Amino acid sequence: MRKLLDFLVRKRHWFLFILLEVVSLMLVYQNNAYQRNIMFSSANVITGHIASVSGYVSSYLNLREINRELLERNGELEMELLELQDQLDMMRADTVTFSGFAPDSTEHFPYSFVMANVVNNSVTHLSNYITVNRGRKDGVEPDMGVVSERGVVGIVSTVSDHFAVVIPLLNPKFRLSCKVLGSSYFGTLSWNGRNARFANLDELPRHVEFEKGDTIVTSGYSAVFPAGIIVGKVVDFEKQHDDNFYSLEVELATDFQALNNVRIIKNYRQAEQKNIEQEAKRND
Amino acid sequence: MINNILRGFFYFVVLVLIQVLVLNNIHFLRVATPFLYLYFILKMPVGTSRTNVVFFSFLIGLVIDIFSNTPGMHAAACTFAGFIREPLIRLFMGKDLPEGIYPSYKTFGYGGFFRYTLLFVVIHHVTLFLIESLTFFDPLFLALRIGASVVTTILLICTIEAFNIESQKSGE
Repeated sequence: MRKLLDFLVRKRHWFLFILLEVVSLMLVYQNNAYQRNIMFSSANVITGHIASVSGYVSSYLNLREINRELLERNGELEMELLELQDQLDMMRADTVTFSGFAPDSTEHFPYSFVMANVVNNSVTHLSNYITVNRGRKDGVEPDMGVVSERGVVGIVSTVSDHFAVVIPLLNPKFRLSCKVLGSSYFGTLSWNGRNARFANLDELPRHVEFEKGDTIVTSGYSAVFPAGIIVGKVVDFEKQHDDNFYSLEVELATDFQALNNVRIIKNYRQAEQKNIEQEAKRND
Repeated sequence: MINNILRGFFYFVVLVLIQVLVLNNIHFLRVATPFLYLYFILKMPVGTSRTNVVFFSFLIGLVIDIFSNTPGMHAAACTFAGFIREPLIRLFMGKDLPEGIYPSYKTFGYGGFFRYTLLFVVIHHVTLFLIESLTFFDPLFLALRIGASVVTTILLICTIEAFNIESQKSGE
């Protein structure tokens, strides 16, 4: 008995080692993207605040770039405005009976958005995450879509009172339904784990016509993103093994390495759509 | 004793802050990220009980995990690295080291310290990247990432060690 006790005391670092390894590995396996423990994610209050201070400092470093982007976006919007005005004028001139545009007041566009700043970001891990400084108190809920000025960023996964963790496109767990602009067939976009600039669009039917340089946009089927948000453009494509589908290499529009301001998209009809979809599955 | 605790605490806080605020954002050529915080485990005094080394290694790994959203990965790798620290020291330096000295160029010699650091860092990185790639396997790219990160980590540790004022005094 004494020998046994002696042995246990002498080898106690072995037990501690095994115990701590088991704890760590449990953490690795349990923290799956959708049930992430808030305690250990950077949505945690302390880590969130430290990260937001450092994010505040580093946000000054690329103001020039952001400014340029805003100007570009501004230009695009102006062009769009001019185009629309032009069309409106034409319609006015064309139709004698046209008496102004009267939208149906019961029909609302179901999306609205919240601006947020990125306070923590990674691009080189295999599973990347982004933390932003808006949370439940600002109306952010899990499963909301996140976009930047340039295109799609990801989906909100966990929310605390003032912070939210986003699963970006650069995470193998995130798959996004996309289509080539102008066609209505959709495929699934996922990341290959290597390069933060590129992702793959698979399962696109072979008869879809497209060229290199074509724009890839969201399909709008998931109720997370509205249809038509830019994802990237085609740089290369090949046939998949079974020969019935294309696999496209897509250059992502969002520059994840220099991400700063994002918009979180709210869709107040998302819950309704999800419920009815789930009900349909249950009834199957 | 109290000196040792204060020193450890100082190392812990400074290295965690450097790692989290600066180094985690470095991705040299998209593959290499230095993990300087290992310096904390490397520099614990010789003769610290193995239970303590294992425990504090786990702790620093866990803190790094919390900040970089990688639950458990660093903790697991660090615990393992901390566990094999003692045998490593014995392997390179033999058993006749005075207790309580800090590993450094002066106490271990340039070659000794370098070999100790190299093997320690390689073991830690291999464990870390293997755990990370459990979800996503790609052997060539994995090897490239491990190699590149080992090189940057070692470079940083050796540079910092050369300028560490404490190490230059501790040979007395």
